[in-house]
Amino acid sequence: MKPKVLLDKVGFWCATAVTSAALMLSIAPMTASAVNIPTEVTELGKDTYKKYCSPCHGEEGKGDGPLARSMLPKPRDFTRGAYKFRTTPSGSLPTDEDIYRTISYGVPNSTMIPWDILTEEQRVSVIPVLKSFSEAFEVRKPDAPVTVGLPLRPTERALTEGKKIYEEKLECWKCHGVEGRGDGPSAAEQEDDFGFPIKPFDFTTGKFKGGNSAQDVYLRFTTGLNGTPMPSFAKELTDEERWCLTYYVMSLIKPEETKK
Amino acid sequence: MKLIYILSILFAFLCCNLISSKDILADNKYSEIEVPDGGTIIGNVKYMGELAAVGLNLYRGWELSDTSKLNSEKLVFSKVNNGLKNAVVSLKDITQGKKTIIPPVHPIIDQQNNNFIPHTIAIVSGTTVDFLNGDEQMHNIHTRSARNQPFNLGTTYKQRISKTFDYPEIIKLTCDLHKNAYAWIVVLDHPYFDTTDRNGYFEICDIPPGTYTFQVWHEELGNLEKEVTVRPKETTTIEFVYSQN
Ligand code: HEC
Ligand code: HEC
Repeated sequence: MKPKVLLDKVGFWCATAVTSAALMLSIAPMTASAVNIPTEVTELGKDTYKKYCSPCHGEEGKGDGPLARSMLPKPRDFTRGAYKFRTTPSGSLPTDEDIYRTISYGVPNSTMIPWDILTEEQRVSVIPVLKSFSEAFEVRKPDAPVTVGLPLRPTERALTEGKKIYEEKLECWKCHGVEGRGDGPSAAEQEDDFGFPIKPFDFTTGKFKGGNSAQDVYLRFTTGLNGTPMPSFAKELTDEERWCLTYYVMSLIKPEETKK
Repeated sequence: MKLIYILSILFAFLCCNLISSKDILADNKYSEIEVPDGGTIIGNVKYMGELAAVGLNLYRGWELSDTSKLNSEKLVFSKVNNGLKNAVVSLKDITQGKKTIIPPVHPIIDQQNNNFIPHTIAIVSGTTVDFLNGDEQMHNIHTRSARNQPFNLGTTYKQRISKTFDYPEIIKLTCDLHKNAYAWIVVLDHPYFDTTDRNGYFEICDIPPGTYTFQVWHEELGNLEKEVTVRPKETTTIEFVYSQN
């Protein structure tokens, strides 16, 4: 399709989205095999956790470290095995690579920073420690990651289709608002599985917690965010419809507000 | 001879270890046997708490009074006999008995008029439940189960989602878009249970003769227990009474 079919307003965002998605797809298997994630808890892992993570996540991973008190969103309570950012289906445990990804990239809009000040060896060493906090990892295994089809082109038609899904078919606006500002009619009453209030994501900010690529956005509504009201829409959409919705959601980003 | 003796003890010990560790993983203490002379327990679960008196409004005849509407899903009881609906009666710690039949036709929980119907179901582990959406709008089904894999799935009109529950657990279903809507799935690891009907009645049959602890679970009123002796090929009537609120 020719560039002129792209909407001016969103063309740039979608173009970056597609390139980064393409990049992600091509590098994902590489990073997965390149990092060697230990399966057993090591001394290095325990030390790293104690020093860098426990002030927020707590000695026993309950999300109740000394710094956690006045924090919102709360540091993750690892004891239930409920991880938000995954490539696996709703309710499933995350893969080790999913956890590694969050530790390395952090969670924007929260106090969870990208832990790139640590060495790769330190970052992978804490993964078995986090898992050891939850019985869930003993009784269940993570499901296989969902398949992400090849990205569609972000055409005008795709956006119209995406808008229809957002506004009519799946009614995302009820939580996220018609303009995506996280102010839908059901937004105010949302709380997470731990009983803390939680806001539906404001898409206009553009700083997605789970990553800014089209594939990241695609994965978020396909797998849902465990432990939060954000559901998984696993069966409702075809792969093509998913990309349409992805592009529409990304078109709600307001570049002026991202710069702030 | 002595050696064989010691070896057999060791072997028995090893077996015990194996079995017990398997138990923890499989959670399956129940074994199936023939029950040729099983007995039946029928009974009634009653609610006699404070609200029961309020519920009986003589001026309004048999109409539902406002109070019972207010507490509608939480506490549903019959005004005729105070029978409590949506309580789950089961045998506690039963280790062997009749064959477990996993229903080939999946039990259904439907979302209608922003509510889950039925409100409480009891199933045996391994059962698949179908979730439907009968409303022309979006809902989600959100569980926080620990043993069974939890899920939070969006559903659209006429959508059918099937989920299998493999481990005994009491699971609450909620919808984040309609905060008042919720339902319960009680998963048990044996087939001896029943959910009370709108008059509080239940029936459990083919129980191997013996003395058992019967248990009732209700979302608001909690648990009650009672020891009951089941006699071969006989029907015994029992009653449970919740007298608190
Ligand atoms: C300053 C406080 C703080 C520190 C220190 C911290 N975290 Fe976090 N972490 C958070 C918060 C807050 C969240 C929740 C963010 C959210 O849900 O939006 C979080 C979330 C997470 C998650 C959840 C990802 C998911 O998918 O749900 C992981 C994994 C994690 N942190 C790992 C770590 C590790 C490993 C360390 C130590 C190297 C660490 N954190 C140190 C505050 C912290
Ligand atoms: C029941 C309310 C609800 C509905 C309906 C809902 N969401 Fe969400 N969504 C949330 C909440 C709450 C969060 C934020 C979770 C957090 O901050 O940890 C979220 C987060 C997200 C994110 C993740 C953003 C990030 O930070 O990475 C995406 C993408 C998203 N929603 C897309 C959608 C789409 C698309 C739909 C419709 C198909 C939808 N949501 C429907 C409540 C909802």
